[in-house]
Amino acid sequence: MSLMDSIRKSAVGRSIWRTPKRVTDRDRAAAHWGNFFLHIYPVKMRREQISFKWSWFLGVASMVLYGSLVASGVYLMFFYVPSPTTAYGDIIFLQTNVAFGQYIRNIHRWSAHLMVVAVAAHMAKMFYRGAYKPPREFNWLIGVVLLILTLLLSFTGYLLPWDQLAYWAITVGTSMTEFVPVIGDTVRAMLIGGTEVGAQTLLRFYVLHVAVLPSLLIGLIMIHLWRWRKDSMLEVDVEVGNE
Amino acid sequence: MAGAAVWTSWDFLQPVAGQAGGPVATVTPDAVPSETVLEIPSMRGYLTEAEGEIVSLRWKCPHLGCKVPWCESSGQFECPCHGSVFNRVGEYRRGPAARGMDRYEYEIVDGIIVPDTSKIIRGAPVGTLETINEPPKGPECLEATSE
Amino acid sequence: MSDIDPTTSSDQRVLGFVEGTPPVGDRKIPREEDSVMVWPHLLVRHAVVALAVIVFVLLLALFFNAPLREMANPTVTPNPEKAPWYFAALQELLFRFHPLVAGVLVPGAIIVGLVALPFIDRNPDTRQRNRKVAVATFTIFMVVWILLTVIGFAFRGPNWGWVWPWLEWYGEL
Ligand code: FES
Repeated sequence: MSLMDSIRKSAVGRSIWRTPKRVTDRDRAAAHWGNFFLHIYPVKMRREQISFKWSWFLGVASMVLYGSLVASGVYLMFFYVPSPTTAYGDIIFLQTNVAFGQYIRNIHRWSAHLMVVAVAAHMAKMFYRGAYKPPREFNWLIGVVLLILTLLLSFTGYLLPWDQLAYWAITVGTSMTEFVPVIGDTVRAMLIGGTEVGAQTLLRFYVLHVAVLPSLLIGLIMIHLWRWRKDSMLEVDVEVGNE
Repeated sequence: MAGAAVWTSWDFLQPVAGQAGGPVATVTPDAVPSETVLEIPSMRGYLTEAEGEIVSLRWKCPHLGCKVPWCESSGQFECPCHGSVFNRVGEYRRGPAARGMDRYEYEIVDGIIVPDTSKIIRGAPVGTLETINEPPKGPECLEATSE
Repeated sequence: MSDIDPTTSSDQRVLGFVEGTPPVGDRKIPREEDSVMVWPHLLVRHAVVALAVIVFVLLLALFFNAPLREMANPTVTPNPEKAPWYFAALQELLFRFHPLVAGVLVPGAIIVGLVALPFIDRNPDTRQRNRKVAVATFTIFMVVWILLTVIGFAFRGPNWGWVWPWLEWYGEL
């Protein structure tokens, strides 16, 4: 009996895991069901589906990058005030005077770019696999929204350093909304809080970037994963049904 | 309920008062040139004069919002972002912009030109004839930097 | 193994458990169609992927610094003015077409197209050889879009003029 087994069998272990035995598949399944962290996974999957050939693990990669972004982003928030007079100086201070400041900012930046790549690649992969077809149309739809949210998160974050790159990219990017017929001007005014990119824009983008968009994203990811788990044995069923 | 929610948040998200610009005191009318333009950073624009009329131009490119610099050698506005070109009073010449440069409404208060940056008059759409006859007088700044 | 759970079924009693290895499971020689336990088979793979991604990011961050230009200045537009790379394709279109087309209709059509895809493509087959039209259309779109992105990102310089990235570099990340 291994050490883990004896830990699980102790009084404390039982209170945590509830199912101390790991002998049959049934025990393991019970342990799986009883585990909060594993509840986003199905208990079983087809061997083929977990091979690298089938899944390029782009979804996992996106999730990991999102985790890295949240962790590094929270760190950055400790040193940043979203105001045109302070923002740029805060970044300089972060890079020069804060321990690992430049490094964490690099991690945030590269994770963000990689997440856009990973999410887009995930979507392309899902297309080629035909994973958008019934009955999984709705999860594809959520995926489209997740891609848009990822782009918006990256775009709102782009403004925050308040350097020339940020200022003009956001000026040009938000100017496109002006060409939306009828409501264009109003939409832009609401987005940037005025007629020019300025203090209000920075504040709005900051709130969107650190609160609104991340919570929307995580909420939709939960639905996305739940659907994925429910549908994970689908192909097995389909195959059995065809026999 | 949903209607009320949309309506309130629509209202709520409108720009805060004072953020959408306002009157800016600039210079006296006789300081405004008629051959070239006068850049006024505080109003984010240019002042110039044509046929006795003061023209107060917004420097934001009507294409995607870059600042359109004045090119002294050619005597026209040339946007480096995607190459839109406008004449001295901001009328469309070429490029991907869909209209001429915008203008601000202005008043003359105590002999000083006061454009109001919250009151924007859209530029005339592509195809409108130019009101001044000033062909490019020299090499364009766009060409010079693209080499 | 019976399908009925003996610990919860009301009309049965548990008489005892026999310890031992299951008749199916670990010892069976797996076939490709077999289902396997997610723990550990999938989770180990996920852990490896996660570690690989993290190591990659940590290394990138070690060797490349995030860019920071001069402080924002509304009176000077940098030349060239580049959007983030994922909008480079749009920017390239904006250079050529009316902004209503390139800035509103094209992105709108892409989003609507992606959302509506499952309802447009009603062919239930998932094998690629049986869905040539869908695969070809999507591939063409992807190739064009990636091409435009690369052009807008690396091949454009001052005044949005053409440059060769190996001679002059204007890409911004
Ligand atoms: S922003 Fe001036 S031409 Fe595009």
